[in-house]
Amino acid sequence: MKFLIVEDEESLRNSINQYLTVEGNICDHASTYEQGYQKLSIYDYDCILLDLTLPDGEGLQLLKYLKKINKADGVLIISARNSLDQKIEGLSLGADDYLIKPFHLSELYARVQSIVRRRHFNGNSIFHFNEIEIDTTAKETKVNGKPIYLTRKEFELLLYFVVNKNKVISKAAAVVHIWGDDADMADSFDFIYTHIKNVRKKLTDSGCKDYFHSVYGVGYKFTDS
Amino acid sequence: MKLFSSYNRILAIITLTGLIVIGFLFYQTLGQYIDKQIDDHLYEELLEVRDFTHVKNILPSPDGFDDVIVDYKKINKLSDKRKYFADTTFYNPKKKHDESARYLKTALILNRQPYEVMIMASKFERQEQIKSIILIILLPVIILLLILWLVNRILIKRMWLPFRQLLINIKAFNINQEKVFEPVQTNIEEFRELNNAVLEVSLKVKSDYKEIKLFTENASHEMMTPLAVINSKLDTMLQSNTLGKEESEILADLYKATSKLTKLNQSLLLLVKIDNDQLQDKEEIDLKALIEEKISYFHELIQKRELQVETKISVFSVFANRSLIEILINNLFSNAIRHNNDGGSMMVTIKNDSLIFSNTGSRTGLHPQKIFERFYKDNASDGTGLGLAILKQVCLKQNYELSYNYNKEYHQFIINFKSSENKSQLIML
Repeated sequence: MKFLIVEDEESLRNSINQYLTVEGNICDHASTYEQGYQKLSIYDYDCILLDLTLPDGEGLQLLKYLKKINKADGVLIISARNSLDQKIEGLSLGADDYLIKPFHLSELYARVQSIVRRRHFNGNSIFHFNEIEIDTTAKETKVNGKPIYLTRKEFELLLYFVVNKNKVISKAAAVVHIWGDDADMADSFDFIYTHIKNVRKKLTDSGCKDYFHSVYGVGYKFTDS
Repeated sequence: MKLFSSYNRILAIITLTGLIVIGFLFYQTLGQYIDKQIDDHLYEELLEVRDFTHVKNILPSPDGFDDVIVDYKKINKLSDKRKYFADTTFYNPKKKHDESARYLKTALILNRQPYEVMIMASKFERQEQIKSIILIILLPVIILLLILWLVNRILIKRMWLPFRQLLINIKAFNINQEKVFEPVQTNIEEFRELNNAVLEVSLKVKSDYKEIKLFTENASHEMMTPLAVINSKLDTMLQSNTLGKEESEILADLYKATSKLTKLNQSLLLLVKIDNDQLQDKEEIDLKALIEEKISYFHELIQKRELQVETKISVFSVFANRSLIEILINNLFSNAIRHNNDGGSMMVTIKNDSLIFSNTGSRTGLHPQKIFERFYKDNASDGTGLGLAILKQVCLKQNYELSYNYNKEYHQFIINFKSSENKSQLIML
């Protein structure tokens, strides 16, 4: 997949770049409105990560321009402003999703993949990870072709890990992904352990290999190596 | 004491003493004047007696005059020819009681004999006259004073009316509300000045407050990007293959601190947003459904702490902004879960237009006001210290009544949704 990161904060841009450049993904980046304008005029991207406040212009203007030249690139807005109006405006201008800073890279990647999935496969996408099969439309999980029952949150959690496979996901990121920002859960990271234990058990009970690897109490990695 | 009654008290004391003093002086002067008149009259009578004896060579009979009594006493020698005037009392045989009188006593030669003559006149009628005169004068004065006092009272009441209105408006002024201080229309300069001063102060306070809010908002926003950088760097470090146990523990702590900082920032922004009334769109919200949804949302947290959740909810809906109500319920739930004991219990009740969250927890009650202050938290709490402040702010904005009490080992948070409506109705009545 090919991404364009339009973000003026260099260190953040680099981190995103580093995280997304896996499995043959290619990342292009722009630090100003002008650079972004040129790159998206010339190239096609699967997804554009767009910061709204750029030193020389408004990110929303880029979005308008993109729609004006009839490009079908997916757009994920990343903004520090958690304003409902801006969110609505961005989405109505054709952005696919809106992510508020600060965010976890795993969350960003999950959102980006979801956008690409929606755009390229009309949302009808089935993930495969060895013997696991996840249907994101029907919200069904199968192990070796046999369906297993997961609760909604367990399903979300598994999907999150599969999408971010081979990456370590911090407990903090997992908590935010499942419970959102609304609940004040800063002191309850540890209970994600219980949650993962449940998913793990359901998977291994149906003959699946255990792909969850704990990383010293800070997070988990979903990998078969 | 009210200004008016204090003023009135002084006025009453002064008028009363003034009235007494003036009345006394008046009475004295009048009495002296009357005495003088009687004395003149007595002297005339004396002259008449002299003339009478001179002409007729006999003494007039003691009761030969209409209005005076004459008394003669032979004396040896005419030594003192001075005239003495004085007051006395005498028994009036006609009226059968003592009357005060005035007499003239002098020595005098009648029929070539020295006599002591005493002429006495009753003062009774004159005194009656004085009484009438004083009554005629004092009564209208008293009535006048009463009228003045009444007029004063009404006038002052009316004149202070703008002041009272001003007070009501000052009390109604709320820094958190959009409404500015309402100036009172008045022609009285003092009040106008006061009005303007208050108006100026209120505008200044408003603009300062607005600035602080703006500052909080901007500061929090500016912190979001660095936080995003920290978060992304942590995520990047986490991917390192050489991560040891020690580094991982440090990372875990950093994650915790970063999420706490993020949460803190978000809470501050949320407070500003609530303050600014940025969450306006209202709709009918089924509270029963929302609470049931939230119980399943918090299911894992409840399960992990092995809490018993009991609900006594009847169908109840509120007309409000959905985000605000969700924040309200979320905060109540996270509060009841976080500050609970493992294996404790919590109860959600809706009755009489009130939503009640009760939970077990620490064995002592909390301070019913302080807990709602920003950044107040007990030592055991690991939260931001803003959860309850947000709760309070939402209730304040929506005119819900929020209260806390500790009852039989249960901490109770009560939100009365209807209290405001009743109150405002009462005020209107």
